[in-house]
Amino acid sequence: MHVVIRSHLLLVTALLLGNLAGCATPPPASDPEAVADFKETNDPIEPTNRVFYAIDDGLDTVILRPAAKVYRFVLPQPVRTGVHNVLSNLGTPVQLGNDMLEGKPQRAGDTTMRFLINTTAGVLGVFDLAKDWGYPDHDSDFGMTLALWGLPEGPFLFLPVLGPSNPRDAFGFGVDQVMDPFTWVGKGVAVRALDWSRVGISAVDERERHLDDIDNIKKTALDPYATFRSLYRQHRQAQIEEARNDNRATIPVWFPQSATEVVYSPSR
Amino acid sequence: MPNRRNLLILATATLLSGSLRPARAQSVADGARAFVKATGDKLVAVVNGPGTPQQKRGTLTQIIESAVDVDGVARFCLGRFWRTASPEQQKRYTELFHQVLVTNITGKLGEYQGVRFSLGRAQQRDEDTVVSSVVERPNNPPTNVDWIISNPASAPKIIDVVAEGTSLRLTQRQDYASYLTHNNNSIDALISAMHQQVAEAG
Repeated sequence: MHVVIRSHLLLVTALLLGNLAGCATPPPASDPEAVADFKETNDPIEPTNRVFYAIDDGLDTVILRPAAKVYRFVLPQPVRTGVHNVLSNLGTPVQLGNDMLEGKPQRAGDTTMRFLINTTAGVLGVFDLAKDWGYPDHDSDFGMTLALWGLPEGPFLFLPVLGPSNPRDAFGFGVDQVMDPFTWVGKGVAVRALDWSRVGISAVDERERHLDDIDNIKKTALDPYATFRSLYRQHRQAQIEEARNDNRATIPVWFPQSATEVVYSPSR
Repeated sequence: MPNRRNLLILATATLLSGSLRPARAQSVADGARAFVKATGDKLVAVVNGPGTPQQKRGTLTQIIESAVDVDGVARFCLGRFWRTASPEQQKRYTELFHQVLVTNITGKLGEYQGVRFSLGRAQQRDEDTVVSSVVERPNNPPTNVDWIISNPASAPKIIDVVAEGTSLRLTQRQDYASYLTHNNNSIDALISAMHQQVAEAG
């Protein structure tokens, strides 16, 4: 039975990749503006991407969106915020690793303080006290790290289950999984069950936070696929630029702050 | 040969304008900030206030038409296709764009009760002013929203809204561009699709 299912899956995948690995047709070279647009869109395997978008969208409509709706209906906002905070706190190791790889010591410090404060005073991460104490959250993942190291994003990809991406971010996602200590602790059934619950709850949490926005986009966009592609790119770019421009100096609080101005001021 | 007095006047003027410029830029930014605050307060008051959806739509339309450079945004969103469109197509497209914009904004805000928004700082970026804010809607995480204001000194108008780093008008332009690419670059096809959108929204 198992083998049958697997060979079916293989067949379906082969069909998908074989028949649908179509490439977008570039516009004729006689229309330079259209060519410029085509390059800017940077989506050479658009027909294939659209197939995966359709599949993901179908799965979302029957599984994830209803789950998110139930989640929102059953749990009040403060509880959902608490769940989100716990998940975000569990992501601290990966975040910290990437802060350091990005060469952003202040961000690494923020992440460390957030973990220490929220895990203890914030009761295992339920309450985000660190934010009110001057350590706000920020985004940090290996895709961003690679971007700050100078790697371009590459062509647009719409991945099964994972959604909008590109080679850089897809590879980054894999590295983040490897970087996550929870990938490596224990091999028992209980640990595995917890791991998968975390994946499931994360998905529902993330989806619930974007319920209204995604509904709105699907309602108002003429081409939702193109709109999600544009939004994904812009949002990633904004995250990367925010990290790039975060160059707060790392002066210890006990160091005489006025003296540092004299030392570092280029005008003196 | 320039005489010494003229040089002195020139130098003083240069110094003065140099020292005055930051102050002027700041007052311009503050003006834009006040403009966004006034517009935002009006929008929030209507959204949270009483009235049927139809009444709200009417009031929101007035606010949007007076605060947003809708014609400019419309032209931006059509991108390179604006120049290939006939004057008649441009006119019909722009008219429809006004309605689509109002429909979309009403759709985004209309269903909420208890929208709050708090203003952050305002800064000059080239000719425009960027005013930061945080918008809170019930059931949704707080969203960072930047308002891009053109002509902040003379006739302030909103030309773009950037939510979590995503520009509304750029996203709209790429949506239209993709639609046009997949419909033989036919502006009439776009116009009829927009027409249908407005009709469906009622």
